[in-house]
Amino acid sequence: MAVLKAVHYINQFYAGLGGETMADVGLCILEEKKGPAIGLEKLWNGEMEVVKIIVCGDNFINNDDNFQGIIPDIKEIINQVKPDVFIAGPAFNAGRYGVACAKLCDYIRKELDIPSVTAMWHENPAVDMYVKDNYIVSTSETAVGMTKSLPSLAKLALKLAMKQPIGPSRFEGYLRTGHRYNEYHEKIGAERVVDLLLNKLNNKPYVTEIPLRGFEVVPPASKVTELKDAIIALVTTGGLVPMGNPDKIKQAFAVNYGKYDIEGVDSLNKGIYESIHGGYDTTFATNDPHRLIPLDEMRTLEKDGVIGGIYKYFFTTCGVGTNIESSKDMGRRIAVELKNAGVSAAILTST
Amino acid sequence: MKLIRQYFNIKDVLWGGRTSLSDGILTICKQDLKEQFRTLFKAVEDIDFEIVKPGENTRIIHLLDTLQPMYKVKGNGMQYSGFFGSPITVGEGVTNLLKGITVMESAALPWEESSASSGLLYPRDAIMDMAGPIADFTPFRDTLNLVILYKLAKNKSSIEYDKDIRLIAIKISTYLASLTKELVPDESICYTIDEINPELPNVVLVWQCQNQGPYANTFLYGQSIDNLVPTLLHPNEMLDGCVVSGNYVWPAFKVPTYLHANHPIVMELYNNHGKTLNFRGIIFCRSHNPSSWHKVRCANFNVKLAKYLNAKGLIMAWEGGGNAAVDGMLTIQCAEKNGIKASAITFEFGGIDGTEGILLVDDVPEADAIISGGSIEKHYKLPAVERVVGGEVLRLNKESGGYFPPSDKAIEFENTTHLYLAGNQTGHSRLFAEAY
Repeated sequence: MAVLKAVHYINQFYAGLGGETMADVGLCILEEKKGPAIGLEKLWNGEMEVVKIIVCGDNFINNDDNFQGIIPDIKEIINQVKPDVFIAGPAFNAGRYGVACAKLCDYIRKELDIPSVTAMWHENPAVDMYVKDNYIVSTSETAVGMTKSLPSLAKLALKLAMKQPIGPSRFEGYLRTGHRYNEYHEKIGAERVVDLLLNKLNNKPYVTEIPLRGFEVVPPASKVTELKDAIIALVTTGGLVPMGNPDKIKQAFAVNYGKYDIEGVDSLNKGIYESIHGGYDTTFATNDPHRLIPLDEMRTLEKDGVIGGIYKYFFTTCGVGTNIESSKDMGRRIAVELKNAGVSAAILTST
Repeated sequence: MKLIRQYFNIKDVLWGGRTSLSDGILTICKQDLKEQFRTLFKAVEDIDFEIVKPGENTRIIHLLDTLQPMYKVKGNGMQYSGFFGSPITVGEGVTNLLKGITVMESAALPWEESSASSGLLYPRDAIMDMAGPIADFTPFRDTLNLVILYKLAKNKSSIEYDKDIRLIAIKISTYLASLTKELVPDESICYTIDEINPELPNVVLVWQCQNQGPYANTFLYGQSIDNLVPTLLHPNEMLDGCVVSGNYVWPAFKVPTYLHANHPIVMELYNNHGKTLNFRGIIFCRSHNPSSWHKVRCANFNVKLAKYLNAKGLIMAWEGGGNAAVDGMLTIQCAEKNGIKASAITFEFGGIDGTEGILLVDDVPEADAIISGGSIEKHYKLPAVERVVGGEVLRLNKESGGYFPPSDKAIEFENTTHLYLAGNQTGHSRLFAEAY
């Protein structure tokens, strides 16, 4: 079988050109083996070789114009060499180097259809930017761990070059991309939840299976200063809809919202509206829809001149199992309409 | 407290003229079972039975609960204490169990007007397949399953249907297990946590169950737990069936009585007791606490009880979806702030490929050790099956006017919420979301 071919990207430092003082150096091609390529080839036992090394200074390549400028050259090299895999780094915790590696891998994989892989420390800023679509092998924080970091990179690069199926992150050693699929573990959940706790209790390393993705913090709107001039909108995630749910809003996992006319309506009566929410006992809300949309009290405030008015529609959806992205989309669309209509505040009742 | 569980392996179930158990073969006389329990038929007009065996290409639908047949032969109280007779504390003595067989309830509970307005009181169709792509979601693909098919009387309330269905199933499973009275068990296991090793860390399980009204309740010694503040259970009480399910709302998340009585995390903690940890007990509480105030109190009480037990570690597990996750996360946070390390298990979201939005409805920074029970936002195509037990049509999408496809044909689901036990909330299954 013919020996597989890899093209390798490294920065000025690993190319032996120099450190920070040489960070502005432009694109160079090395024909001789330098840096990590030597270690990688040893691990491939003759199955693959690095046929070309591409080098750029970290400052140079991190300039967008420069990057775009070298793209034709990169493309030419790749089309000429036709490598089985493109490898960049390892970049460890070097920010600019990491971004250069990941950005090149992303481009070459996406545009030139060559499998690509890089390697770096999991906190390298490039990880958040590129990990979703790229294989980034986990390494130590600094180059001190080079020898330990190369085997997983070499192994994954070879697998990619051979077009073998790539297994999950925990077996292949790349950082989790965020892609998750239902499969069957070797052990049942109960066994794993006890194991995980024991590792934690015994101060052994442990890895959560569900990483936290955190929540976006939404700054509160500034307060309403002149209530008597304010037009107030009424919004609920409690699933209040006209009887029969004409817009077929889903009881759970909702992806749309309803908008219902309340102009000239003084109260939301039982039998005309109902709640179709799938996550709580809706009997009380259906018996008195004002529990969700307090139109009766708001009309009193309006008549007394406490508020300027009530927006002519109320908005409604079901907040249960509702995807965050769908929620954001619905929220944005509702906010745009309210903003355009000159509404100054909204009461959102959640359930 | 010591409980000896005597297991009687059931190799096969057959229909016959007389209900009996001999050499691991359970013979069932339908007429006999019906007649014995006819006095309980109030909201139930009639019952029938089907036997489903491992390896069959069979689908079971309208599945409400699954029970562990057991019969207490020695010690205080009785199996599933509190439903028939007084709620005497169980967990001590000797209990006989049929192993390898379950009793299942299947009924198309009415989508009646009284609950038609309510999302919650709507019993959603739970579906399980004995073979094919979703078979491994439940442990019951490997058991013989005696399915009770209920014919419901007309114009009864949700509460009446709910109660009678449960009482009949408890009676039948008890009766079947009582056939072991004079027999020699295949296996006896003594369950006790009396002895503790001071070298090992104390660990508790916080088991938080759903309670939101009829069809969405959990029963402790026969009563629903709506007003329950967290309490302490000896694991043996759970083994003797002190917790019974009455939850039919989300098939993926509900926990059947069988898994309360054979809770996989409880069993795993028992396996580890005295070897890697000291199992100190189960803190049992309600999920879906109605307000933030209730949630905070519940979390604090859970941790208070854990501290009384000198727990160093706590496993948080819950039944139900988003609301319950908020409760669970508060307990994890409270535990960690009090120096108790926590791990948890839950289903996750994430969309088709796992990258969409968040994975959990709620989280706290302290929740750094969570086991995945699998993602519910995955598409599954169920193939056509040879036989369906429970009914000729599925009942889906009530909120959009209802959808009633034939139950034996192939059908595709956008998510797993209708697939029985797909949420893997007790850690019974190997299903998880693998990270790529």
